[in-house]
Amino acid sequence: MSALLKLDRLRKSYGQRRLLDLERLEIEAGHAYVVTGGNGSGKTTLLRILAGLEPGEAEGLKFEGRSIANGEAHREIVYVHQHPYLFHTSVAGNIAYGLKARGVAAAERQRLVEAAIAWAGVGHLRRLAPHKLSGGEKQRVALARAKVLGPRLYLLDEPTANLDGDGRRQTIDLVQELARGGAGVVIACHDRELIELPGMRRFHLENGRLLEV
Amino acid sequence: MSLLDATGEAFKLLFGGDAELWGIVLISLKVALLGLGIAMLPGIVTGYLLAMHRFPGRRALVVLTQSLLAFPTVVVGLVLYLLLSRQGPLGSLALLFSQNAMILGQTILVFPILVAYTLSAVQGADPRAHETAVSLGAGPLRAALTLLNETRFALLAGVINGFGRAISEVGCALMIGGNIAGLTRNITTAIALETSKGEFAQGIALGMVLVVLALGVNVAMAILQGEGGMK
Repeated sequence: MSALLKLDRLRKSYGQRRLLDLERLEIEAGHAYVVTGGNGSGKTTLLRILAGLEPGEAEGLKFEGRSIANGEAHREIVYVHQHPYLFHTSVAGNIAYGLKARGVAAAERQRLVEAAIAWAGVGHLRRLAPHKLSGGEKQRVALARAKVLGPRLYLLDEPTANLDGDGRRQTIDLVQELARGGAGVVIACHDRELIELPGMRRFHLENGRLLEV
Repeated sequence: MSLLDATGEAFKLLFGGDAELWGIVLISLKVALLGLGIAMLPGIVTGYLLAMHRFPGRRALVVLTQSLLAFPTVVVGLVLYLLLSRQGPLGSLALLFSQNAMILGQTILVFPILVAYTLSAVQGADPRAHETAVSLGAGPLRAALTLLNETRFALLAGVINGFGRAISEVGCALMIGGNIAGLTRNITTAIALETSKGEFAQGIALGMVLVVLALGVNVAMAILQGEGGMK
């Protein structure tokens, strides 16, 4: 299967400190990847570079031949922060945001938003403002907001961080569903349960190098 | 006339619907709101660009904006007077001693306030807001509008503060408006004139209107700050 995303020789430094020093990475559609590593090892930075949100010195960073750094593929990739930011509107408004940005007609938008709300199990929250949601609920809304766009690649930064109980369980279930959905999924995390999900390709980031484990 | 008599007379003017007094209030509101309205788009856009982009000279522009916040209004009036006077480079526009000149002055006074508030609001916004918009497919304009919407309470505070400066300043309006009755006489210039003539009643009445407006502005800001703090 041809790679969705190809990365060649990536360097990223902060001052004298070299954070990332990667030779090659390929992400394929229909596969889920987990990137582990200690705090400050560069997991988040790597995901942000893959999302085109942060510059890095790469010889090549392409999504199906299109430059990520130039924003040519920004509608194919969705990055979800460790602590997702929800806009100051309702849950439904948040989930509709990307569809509006893509010019999806109102009726179709509503249909897709309803489907995403049902998928994430947040129907009872649809009219609530974000500051009334728990961490787990915010994460589920953010995943629904990403899924509704049907991206080809999800980049999820620590989706279960600081969650426990039902919130964590529901988030893991949703991430599993995304991974089964045919898109590429890259997850930076420490969560053993996520790391050990069946079919997961595992990488470890240490001293800037990405090692398959 | 004693202070007590003048105050009583002021209330009569206010509640008796004195046409001259309320005409002055209307001129003030018209000039301040139009000046504010004209300054809003360029002020907010400039503040946003200064906050979001790094370019040579940016720091100098930020310092200049902050300096303009404390610029004496009478100096703005003087510069505009020299530009708009018959011998000035813009004299052919015949704007001096007109409402349009006053609106121009208010626009210039309000502009740096809007730039500074927008700059501060956008710089202080959660960086994930813009990133999330971009990651969800928003182009530069939509992402900018989203970020401005997310910081709307701080921006509205800037708008309210700008209105406060426009409605209460006297130096610029006096110099380029000329304090012409029924045309360019606004609340502040009328107070200055009436007081200098020893006619306190109208001055006190207009002062009360100004105080009510200033209180209204501050109450609105307090409410907005409360709303913004609920997040």
